Amino acid sequence: MSTTVSPQIQQRQYGQQGRHGRKRSRLRIITAFAGWEFLRNARMVESTFFIVVLPTVLYLMFGALSAFGESPVGNGTIATYNMTAMTVYGATMATSAIAGSAALERQQGWGRQLGLTGLTSTGYMLGKVLVALGIALMPIVVVFTVGSLTGAAFDEAWMWPASGALALLGAIPFALYGLAAALLFRSEAAVSGASGILVVLAFFGNLFMPLSGTLLEIARFTPIYGIAALARWPQLEGTVVSMEDGGAPISDPLWAIVLNVVAWTVLFAAICLVASRRSTRRG
Amino acid sequence: MNTTAPSTVPGTVPPSGQRSPAAGADPAGPETAATALHATGVHRQFGSGAGAVRAVNGVDLQIQRGEIVALLGPNGAGKTTFLDLVLGFTAPTSGSLTVLGMPPKQAVLEGRVGAVLQTGGLLSDLTVKETMSMVAACQPRHIPVETALERAGAAQIAGRKVRKCSGGEQQRLRFALALLTEPDLLLLDEPTAGMDVRARKEFWETMQAEAERGRTVVFATHFLQEASDFADRIVLMRAGRKVVDGPVDEVIDTGHRTVSCVWDGPGTPEEAAVKLGLPDAVAHQNGRVRFTAQDTDRLAGFLLSTGLAHDLTIAAASLDEVFLDLTSDDATEGTLT
Repeated sequence: MSTTVSPQIQQRQYGQQGRHGRKRSRLRIITAFAGWEFLRNARMVESTFFIVVLPTVLYLMFGALSAFGESPVGNGTIATYNMTAMTVYGATMATSAIAGSAALERQQGWGRQLGLTGLTSTGYMLGKVLVALGIALMPIVVVFTVGSLTGAAFDEAWMWPASGALALLGAIPFALYGLAAALLFRSEAAVSGASGILVVLAFFGNLFMPLSGTLLEIARFTPIYGIAALARWPQLEGTVVSMEDGGAPISDPLWAIVLNVVAWTVLFAAICLVASRRSTRRG
Repeated sequence: MNTTAPSTVPGTVPPSGQRSPAAGADPAGPETAATALHATGVHRQFGSGAGAVRAVNGVDLQIQRGEIVALLGPNGAGKTTFLDLVLGFTAPTSGSLTVLGMPPKQAVLEGRVGAVLQTGGLLSDLTVKETMSMVAACQPRHIPVETALERAGAAQIAGRKVRKCSGGEQQRLRFALALLTEPDLLLLDEPTAGMDVRARKEFWETMQAEAERGRTVVFATHFLQEASDFADRIVLMRAGRKVVDGPVDEVIDTGHRTVSCVWDGPGTPEEAAVKLGLPDAVAHQNGRVRFTAQDTDRLAGFLLSTGLAHDLTIAAASLDEVFLDLTSDDATEGTLT
């Protein structure tokens, strides 16, 4: 072996700083990653349809075009009641789908590929959270915009951002829900299945039609019920809207709503924890 | 970001003799300057107690910059786990490991290490070029995406969706991804698995060009042929240990050769073999007799001078035979150098 140092190797040792332009910061890497992820998710037509288009259309059908659309309910109208429901539906669809697919991508080796870059695992998580929130914000913005043009109204302006923010906040536990499905069953079918079950949960969450009687009693213990009541708090302050006339108005206390949200969040998180321990046991 | 470092300008490829490690060329010390990989007593154990699997069981290995090393071994020898340790995906249970003079994870985060992984997943909804751009955006610095695609021979499939790429094309994409940061150390885990003969040949040609740019290349393979065609040095692992480590020629020379002949007698070939101290060396095939031995010159000389046989053919044992010999359970352990 020759001891001559080739100019190439020398350059590689001395010229690290100037090799390929300025070094990107960790923060810039995370934002770039999140940007790409946002683009990927926004362009998946099937999922964007369920997350943005479907809630908007459902709102138009049952809120704006309903005969009672403009009848006042609480601090808003029937249309408002439907509008908030549809943002909750779209936002939970978004977070559960994104969290689920993120877990699948990692299991399928994309995580290893990214593990060879300047993106840390924390950066990956952070980027995905940003994207999930960004995508979940889309149905909220779109449905609220359409709502404001078609008869949905709040008595006070602050109620718009408050309802929107609560809908977004309530969608976060459903990221854990999607994650749990992916970690438990490790397949794309499981993640779409979880989205399907979400529709049933949305029905029990009082999002599609006001429930009453036994159904309502069951509904109170289901996960979407809590976050829907929370997002509707600015408008209804806990009042349960019923389609039946007469009878004393029913109302949920704030503590019961918060308890529902906290309990389900803890449960989803626990399932994720157990499932991820199981999947990494091999090392 | 758009300038290509001088080391990558085509036409400045150094003669292969100059791919030698640049010992002591860096004021930071010989360790960081010349050593691409330094492992001392590295163990990696999965699980604990009776069911524990010792995937890597005490490996000492030093690879100098500019070397091309083939990591050879049967399935389950610990090759992939060892590469995972070098990439910082998993930490050694005990022992120390540095890559380019720093902890493995740091070397990866700085883009100094690139790898083509056996299990590196790709996103099927992206095109080849989008995959490159997305991964490039996650690197602290990188060469232009087009340049990397070009070098990996993937430029013509840039617009194709990943899900429509063949196994070989996806492998080219992984290779292009690995080249993005101009890594000093390139790790390849069975890079040609699933490729047909032609794709395999083309892959090694492009890899040869990368090696000539002065990169350190470590690749795991099942095939001794690939190792001998491409590597300077062979490290053979078995059951989590390094069992052979040496220049390719020496490793292959430890394999036996065969002398095939037409037997004239007197006596049987077996008797002659015992006399020469070569029991179990005889095989009969199509009317010819075949001896397997290390010193075939001495054997041939003996056979010709005694007139025991005529029409001699001396051949090297096939690489596969050498491989099987080296990895068999009763093969002797130890290094050749």
